[in-house]
Amino acid sequence: MSYKDVLNKLVGEGLLTPSGEVKPHRLIYVFESGKIRELFTKLIDLAGVEGFYVSTIVGTDLMKDGKIRLDYYVVFLPQEETIVFRTFLPRENPEIDSLLDIIPGVLSGECETYDLLGVVFKGNPALKRGFFVPKDVYEKGIYPLRKDAKV
Amino acid sequence: MAITKIIEIPYSLEIPVGPQHPALHEPLLLKVYADGEEVVKVEVYTGYNHRGIEKLAERNSFYRDIFIVGRVCGICNTVHANCYVRALEQILGIEPNNRAKYLRVLAMELERIHSHMLINAVMAEIIGFESLFMNIMLDRERIMKAKEILTGNRVLADYMMVGGVRRDINDEKKNKLLKLLNKTEERVKYYKQVFMEDDTILKRLVDVGIITKTDVLKYSLIGPPARASGVKIDARASDKYDAYDEVPFNVVVKKEGDSWARMILRWDEALESINMCKYILENLPSDGNPVPDEKRLPRRFPPGEAFTRVEAPRGELTYYVMSDGKPMPYRVKIRTPSFNNIINTANVYLGHSIADVPVILVSWDPCISCMERITVLDLTTGERKRMHLKELARGGRKWVSPRYSI
Amino acid sequence: MEKQEQVEKNRKVVEKNRDYRIIRYTPWLVHFNTGACNGCDIEVLAALTPLYDPERFGVKLAPSIRHGDILVVTGAVTKKAAERLKILYEQMPEPKFVIAVGACACSGGVFHKSYSVLAGADKVVPVDIYIPGCPPRPEAILDGIVKLLKKLEEE
Repeated sequence: MSYKDVLNKLVGEGLLTPSGEVKPHRLIYVFESGKIRELFTKLIDLAGVEGFYVSTIVGTDLMKDGKIRLDYYVVFLPQEETIVFRTFLPRENPEIDSLLDIIPGVLSGECETYDLLGVVFKGNPALKRGFFVPKDVYEKGIYPLRKDAKV
Repeated sequence: MAITKIIEIPYSLEIPVGPQHPALHEPLLLKVYADGEEVVKVEVYTGYNHRGIEKLAERNSFYRDIFIVGRVCGICNTVHANCYVRALEQILGIEPNNRAKYLRVLAMELERIHSHMLINAVMAEIIGFESLFMNIMLDRERIMKAKEILTGNRVLADYMMVGGVRRDINDEKKNKLLKLLNKTEERVKYYKQVFMEDDTILKRLVDVGIITKTDVLKYSLIGPPARASGVKIDARASDKYDAYDEVPFNVVVKKEGDSWARMILRWDEALESINMCKYILENLPSDGNPVPDEKRLPRRFPPGEAFTRVEAPRGELTYYVMSDGKPMPYRVKIRTPSFNNIINTANVYLGHSIADVPVILVSWDPCISCMERITVLDLTTGERKRMHLKELARGGRKWVSPRYSI
Repeated sequence: MEKQEQVEKNRKVVEKNRDYRIIRYTPWLVHFNTGACNGCDIEVLAALTPLYDPERFGVKLAPSIRHGDILVVTGAVTKKAAERLKILYEQMPEPKFVIAVGACACSGGVFHKSYSVLAGADKVVPVDIYIPGCPPRPEAILDGIVKLLKKLEEE
């Protein structure tokens, strides 16, 4: 199925809600953080394993709203169209299921987001502090990318 | 299977990391567990190159960040600056004129040629072909000279600015560039022929490190490793940014998926880039000054977010910039291509012999500059030996010449 | 008579070039990247290619750290790499010298305010020669090495 049909089907089932775009012309779909595995399993079923790849995982600390925003940038083939899947996590205890067993390519993005922002991906055995951050920063328990980190 | 050897290979890796460190060229540590000569397990350890660039980018103004971001990677600095500047232009809603777009593409394509020649030279050195390494480096100097004529510096160009480029070219420079490109084209064709016909190279590279099309997409591999396995992805053809909708080019795709296909693909891309550069130089539009007026650029940026992609020599490079109305960005996220290509491929080495590990490593195009020593720990005898990466690639034999004695 | 003139001329040329002929001391370089952008590294690599011809000074890349005479440091020294730099410096046999190549190794460059970087190589090892530039040209790198060697000859 072409990516437009896939996305319309998922919107119809209530998994996704369209909400604006990131310039230039990358459509944003918001989903609930608890349903991430269901969403990606359905994407693989409908679009096929060779129908898309996960390009980037971006985590942003929205301190004023008390949330951490997680974006999954997915590129659909063969048109190479980039779609944003966005979700919000509570800032105090950000946890989300890991996608490592269904899409192994998220390993680098998840390890990085854990080390720098503190988002725990449940089920990912490779998460560890000190993946990138030097010792004297992670020993104090600081996540450098948070807005209130004193580095 | 009994593990008899553990080999730690530190190599320099371009890891674009988000928040703090964009494009770190990290000496990355690969722990390779070997049974006799066969690799059974590989672990990836990182962290040596984290420079905290993303946090640094949040503390400087948007315009200063153009220089910081250019120093994420020295080999592909023009594509980093270009991607960031285009994200800023999307937020501001301005567009450069056609001449500036063509000049930007010229700088980026020159960089693609020199980067591909560099990694092929390193591959030749790793398998022992030192004279080929020296020859390719000598011919690469012509492209560095061309970059210097166009942008003013050999390596770090600092050529992009919001709204255009920093310098213009005149007819004299154009003729010099065309002469350099013509000479380089003959040499690149010769080197491609060497890589296709030479026995040593064929024996070491063919059927080593094969990846299938499904694996490429599952592991999010991008750039030449993906295109060499039959996946047609190229950010230039899909996003058509800057002048890529007007400059004609082909996306090179191969089917074999082994290290040899990856290196030949890079030579093909270099030839395509040379044709593109010649087309640009002959058809440069003259619709105004490509250098914008700096005083008219705004200091505060409107709130918004932008996500741009660019085709770096190593793959797809993405930038995410978010602004909330202040003169400094709220979030800058850089994801460099080597991040995906190197961390996610720890399982391709399994089943190969130890001497193939450096060959596969170099075929992903990691950053070359830090091919350090590796430590071989022989578990049966308990001795630790330090070897150069080149020696591992040649089978770990001790050479008679005093250059390689330890 | 003509032969005498020729000998005089040759001697003058030899005298003029004596600065560049370092007979007794042929240094072997060891290169270490402590978290650089690789710009300085490819210029160091380019300085070892035939166009710039470092072998006329006897300069070569050493095969292992135990053979090295001069340590070439590039990159803003990150905290993790600083420990390895110290270990590497201690493994080199005497006499040893350190050259800091590039703005990042001299004083941190653009990264001097980052939390993960110790700005400058001289916070970890004693540096003899600083070569500024971002990145410095290969000719500048060779010029720095020759200056170090001339300084050593005078001592």
